[in-house]
Amino acid sequence: MTDYWLSKLFFDLQNPAAAAEYRADRAKVLARYPLAQEVLEAIDRDDVGFLGRRVNPYLLRYYFGTAGMSDAVFLAKLHQTGKEPAHG
Amino acid sequence: MAEFVGAFAASHAPLIARDWDKLSAERRGQISAAYGELGRRMAAAGPEVIIELSPDHWVNFFLDNLPSICVGVGESHDGPPEPFMKSFPRSVPGHPALGRHIAETALAEDFEPSISHHLKLDHGFCIPLERMALPTLPRLVPITVNDLEPPMMSIRRCFAWGRLLARAIASYPEKDLRVAILATGGLSHSIGESTMGAIDEAFDRDCIRAFADGAEAPLTQFLEAHMAAAGNGTHEVRNWVIAHAAAGARGFDLIDYRAVPEVYVGCGFASWRM
Repeated sequence: MTDYWLSKLFFDLQNPAAAAEYRADRAKVLARYPLAQEVLEAIDRDDVGFLGRRVNPYLLRYYFGTAGMSDAVFLAKLHQTGKEPAHG
Repeated sequence: MAEFVGAFAASHAPLIARDWDKLSAERRGQISAAYGELGRRMAAAGPEVIIELSPDHWVNFFLDNLPSICVGVGESHDGPPEPFMKSFPRSVPGHPALGRHIAETALAEDFEPSISHHLKLDHGFCIPLERMALPTLPRLVPITVNDLEPPMMSIRRCFAWGRLLARAIASYPEKDLRVAILATGGLSHSIGESTMGAIDEAFDRDCIRAFADGAEAPLTQFLEAHMAAAGNGTHEVRNWVIAHAAAGARGFDLIDYRAVPEVYVGCGFASWRM
């Protein structure tokens, strides 16, 4: 299942200015996207598995890098999911 | 008529650039040697234009408009936006006439590429070019291939695109223009999946063997059966298939292959027999 607006958020955050704004005021940026409550909650808890089932894996990686998660932590969380995201 | 002078392939793992200083001296030496040999072969071929095949890593295109294949027809293209690629030129000269000829040849033969007059060339395009250290950077006709987001082109269609590129080069009217093809990406890797970091060396070795043997049917069958399971990044092998078909599917010379877990990629480097 592709979540267009979640994907759009992750795509837009590749822009350095948008990423800086997100790190400074996450709620303000998130308010611009019509995201479902369960998605907002997954973002809030850095739920790699939940979000990974809704976006392209490359965008997932970009997002967590932008959000400040180290590669080591990201990999550990991914490996814990034990499930393939919906995208190839 | 233009002259098709060489076809080459190289992996493009972004951590080769981002984490270069974190790699061991031995690893840096291995990677530099492979790109260096590729660069020597490319320089010996002497291309004035490189048709470069690489995925777009969500830099130019998004879900709103996601072409299976896009031919760069611009006068110039932007250098990579990634912060770890600042050493690469900010602008890269294109070859609009050849790009347009490729697009027109494609349309005349019932292919429907997208075109772009100004692409941003991400690490996929630029890491091999930078590491190959060519004496001068030839003009580029960048071609993005959707290797990231399903649905993707069939392997059969990649073969068809490769043959089409060869015909487009052969029919380009500028006398003696020297043109090479560079395919980037692969081999096996997994990005943003639960298997991220895994490198399928058995797949890579079998894949290399199938390219070296050259024959279309076994290579197609192998990739259709095994590519998806070797990790989502492995879909970039499509670019190698296009170069392989353009070069006549006569097999290639492997310059180097090694699994490089530090950059999450089975790194391959090759030049095709012309």
